[in-house]
Amino acid sequence: LGLAPAAGPRRTPALELAQELAEELWSAGLPGDLPELEPECRSLLAAFAEGSAALTDCLGRRARPVRLCQGCRGQYSRLLAQYGSIARAVGNSTESHNCAKSILTSDRLQIVVTLSEFFNETWEAANCANCLKNNSEGLSNSTEEFLDLFNKSLTCFEHNLQGQAIDLSPNNYTEVCKNCNETYTKLNDLYNHLQRMNRQGGESAHSAHLCIDVEDAMNITRKLWSRTFNCSLPCSDTVPVIAVSSFILFLPIVFYLSSFLHSKQKKRILILPKRIQSNANLVNIQEKYS
Amino acid sequence: MANVAKKVSWSGRDRDDDEDGRAGETTPLLNGTGPGAAGSGRQLTPSSFLRIGQLSNVDLNEDIHELETELPRQRPNEIPHNEKLLSLKYESLDYDNSENQLFLEEERRINHAAFRTVEIKRWVICAMIGILTGLVACFIDIVVENLAGLKYRVVKDNIDKFTAKGGLSFSLLLWATLNASVVMVGSVIVAFIEPVAAGSGIPQIKCYLNGVKIPHVVRLKTLVIKVCGVILSVVGGLAVGKEGPMIHSGSVIAAGISQGRSTSLKRDFKIFEYFRRDTEKRDFVSAGAAAGVSAAFGAPVGGVLFSLEEGASFWNQFLTWRIFFASMISTFTLNSVLSVYHGNAWDLSSPGLINFGRFDSEKMGYTIQEIPIFIFMGVVGGILGALFNALNYWLTMFRIRYIHRPCLQVVEAMLVAAVTATVGFVMIYCSRDCQPIQGSSVAYPLQLFCADGEYNSMATAFFNTPEKSVVNLFHDPPGSYNPMTLGMFTLMYFFLACWTYGLTVSAGVFIPSLLIGAAWGRLFGISLSYLTKGSIWADPGKYALMGAAAQLGGIVRMTLSLTVIMMEATGNVTYGFPIMLVLMTAKIVGDYFVEGLYDMHIQLQSVPFLHWEAPVTSHSLTAREVMSTPVTCLRRIERVGTVVDILSDTSSNHNGFPVVESNPDTTQVAGLRGLILRSQLIVLLKHKVFVERANLNLVQRRLKLKDFRDAYPRFPPIQSIHVSQDERECMIDLSEFMNPSPYTVPQEASLPRVFKLFRALGLRHLVVVDNRNEVVGMVTRKDLARYRLGKEGLEELSLAQT
Repeated sequence: LGLAPAAGPRRTPALELAQELAEELWSAGLPGDLPELEPECRSLLAAFAEGSAALTDCLGRRARPVRLCQGCRGQYSRLLAQYGSIARAVGNSTESHNCAKSILTSDRLQIVVTLSEFFNETWEAANCANCLKNNSEGLSNSTEEFLDLFNKSLTCFEHNLQGQAIDLSPNNYTEVCKNCNETYTKLNDLYNHLQRMNRQGGESAHSAHLCIDVEDAMNITRKLWSRTFNCSLPCSDTVPVIAVSSFILFLPIVFYLSSFLHSKQKKRILILPKRIQSNANLVNIQEKYS
Repeated sequence: MANVAKKVSWSGRDRDDDEDGRAGETTPLLNGTGPGAAGSGRQLTPSSFLRIGQLSNVDLNEDIHELETELPRQRPNEIPHNEKLLSLKYESLDYDNSENQLFLEEERRINHAAFRTVEIKRWVICAMIGILTGLVACFIDIVVENLAGLKYRVVKDNIDKFTAKGGLSFSLLLWATLNASVVMVGSVIVAFIEPVAAGSGIPQIKCYLNGVKIPHVVRLKTLVIKVCGVILSVVGGLAVGKEGPMIHSGSVIAAGISQGRSTSLKRDFKIFEYFRRDTEKRDFVSAGAAAGVSAAFGAPVGGVLFSLEEGASFWNQFLTWRIFFASMISTFTLNSVLSVYHGNAWDLSSPGLINFGRFDSEKMGYTIQEIPIFIFMGVVGGILGALFNALNYWLTMFRIRYIHRPCLQVVEAMLVAAVTATVGFVMIYCSRDCQPIQGSSVAYPLQLFCADGEYNSMATAFFNTPEKSVVNLFHDPPGSYNPMTLGMFTLMYFFLACWTYGLTVSAGVFIPSLLIGAAWGRLFGISLSYLTKGSIWADPGKYALMGAAAQLGGIVRMTLSLTVIMMEATGNVTYGFPIMLVLMTAKIVGDYFVEGLYDMHIQLQSVPFLHWEAPVTSHSLTAREVMSTPVTCLRRIERVGTVVDILSDTSSNHNGFPVVESNPDTTQVAGLRGLILRSQLIVLLKHKVFVERANLNLVQRRLKLKDFRDAYPRFPPIQSIHVSQDERECMIDLSEFMNPSPYTVPQEASLPRVFKLFRALGLRHLVVVDNRNEVVGMVTRKDLARYRLGKEGLEELSLAQT
């Protein structure tokens, strides 16, 4: 039944569950009970169960630090294939008895569909396609390059920290900052470059992100760099900024004062209207109504 | 009744020709005086020139019907500009049709089928208005997006560079200079080429639909300047939006297309000639305004209601239906073109220039308990709106009085642009509110002093076009802004927006108002969720929307149309009720203090604007007190010389003349026979339709209505028509051309009665007659607009030369 490879030393609950499911199906598949599930379908379903268990396992294990796209792409593509074979597979006889129908749509819960949708959505959200090659086999060159550089900078960090005393007060990271600055800057630049390329390439909002592995790696490094090591200390030049801004803010005051003092005030010439009672002015009206 | 051949500016400053208008005083009533005698006017007292005018009237035309009046003998009044003035430079539009014999003949000639083609043409024009308005909106949107993107990228790169190296003051200078120079271009074209394109254009269109002819307001040149000006001022980073000007643009497009020609381009396409009169043009302009609103906010129904609320006094369901058609076409055009531009051709996802995004998640619903909170927000919006308007009032008054030279106006706009950039920079510089960059949709994240991988949250509000900031405030997840950031932003942006509105740049006030409101609304929402310990319903985005509605309602005081616009822009009908409540409260509270921004600006420009009703306490005023008198009348068969003299009399620049029976005996009663317009007289003089020439068979053909239409809307000034000495002695027969049945009122009619007739029929001249059908006076728009309900009861505005 193809369950043998899963029976390794590390049996996770998920796998056990999958096997139970498979066994149940096996027993249920006895003649008379569930006549509509063909043996081919049964094996397809078992394979899917196994594949999804493996993928879940992989995803869970690689959740932190995020290595989803690097680690689980094999499982994912296998699962895709398994789902595809279910969806495409046709049973031995008529079309009404094919596996796709009996597995995917014959009950309310449609658990296989739900599972596969969940995996697809996760994969989409992680945007893994972005750091894989077009045929999903292996990481793309830029990603490889990035991860290389990332490992290098981590090594650099470790290396420099080891050289120092074990109890590090927050100010003692200057060594790291100095020595690893080059690698870090390279990494940062590469990341920014990748991001820019990505934004130019894809139009839709979804592909604006890089894949989660790269993003997370960069995030960790940046946090280490600027929060833990406190390396990025931008020069704050408050005095010139205050000077320039107060100069600019001062200009309107000068402008309004000078135009108030020097500009000739606009005068309007009143035109006397032609009326019968030319004294029927405001005062008159006011009297009338008060 | 105003000067005809004057160039007038809306923006408070005059071209230097305000002396020209009164040049005739020194050399009274001779043909051809005019601009030549400029500069001498100011010393003459109004009373003296009135007297001269009257004496010479008596001299030259004995038959002019006039009443004895006491001439006031007062010193000339030169006063500083204030809000209680009516300018002489604005004329009325003629909504009333002149049913003279030519008109009747034409109607007889055109058969039934021809009228049906006229109807079809109306629909075609409306479709074209929609399409072109949509295309103009697309153009503005795309150009703004690209130019602003370029600017922000340049500044961002610069800031990023200098953050590492030091020297951020250079980035500040770069930003301020870029802004100021872009705004300078935008301001120069407005100030020097077409001042009427300044501002949002909504007050101007409101006046136009009310029936006031604002010079140059619907010209192609204005459109070009408006569109370029909006692009430049938004790219220049001012606290402005591009939505309000769309309404003006739509109106210009409508006026242009419906006339089938452009005087700016000096091209006549010889189509749609039937529509060349004020009545038709005004209907199309209301369609254009609706199309503009619809393109700006993706709100076709809101656009129709805007036209209904703000202007068109004359509605029937066919016109409404056509206007709705134009609106729909406009938003659809914008939507499809922008979808193609954004690369997803068939999904039609951007119906307006600003899109508030979708508010349909679970959290965005509201409960009954929240309604009092919304009403409270309406109150806050009303108070803040009133404060905004009051500040802007003082500022505008100062601008009209002291900053009236174009150079000064340009300098002011540049300064505002530079200060806007500086304030933004300083706020970003001082802010320590950092947010993680992951998962956020910030277009130009500025890191500045934040840790790597984080961006400055103040920069999302300031370092962006206002439209994008509004949408960010609506939709960013809770926690994206800290309260301090929002508070500072609201405060700063409030003053910046208030300072910006009224500059000589074309720019709208909708988006800045929404932005201010969204900022304090979000702040309100955040504090609410603090108070309620983070309840699920206290989503800051929802309160940002309500705050935006409250602030906008508090500033512009629109009611019905704004509710529908907001509803359509959010695409959520369930928000209709709270938005309506918020807008109502904001309007009630705001009206308690000062009036709406647009009405305020209309008043400050001394426009004779007629409100819906006459002042409530004015029933004891009668037509006799309201009317202008004496009236310059013409006889049915009049001497050409007299006509020319009356027309060229610059001191009484009347536009309509009652025609009385041409009785040689002056002692007898001369009853009213009709009304003739200055434009008609000029066309008659130009074609030399004189009785003598007709007798000698010198006239080749009879004048047709087409001759009058061809001259519309800019009739040549009288000075350009040459009448020889001999011709002055000829006679002219007006009976064919005058409107034989002008509207009249008796002297005893009360002001509200006169007002109702005038307003509802869109009249320009209303003749006051006594019981013998003798002309005693004339009521025009300015006679009615003078009376206004002020703080202390009924007020009377004075007429002024502006």
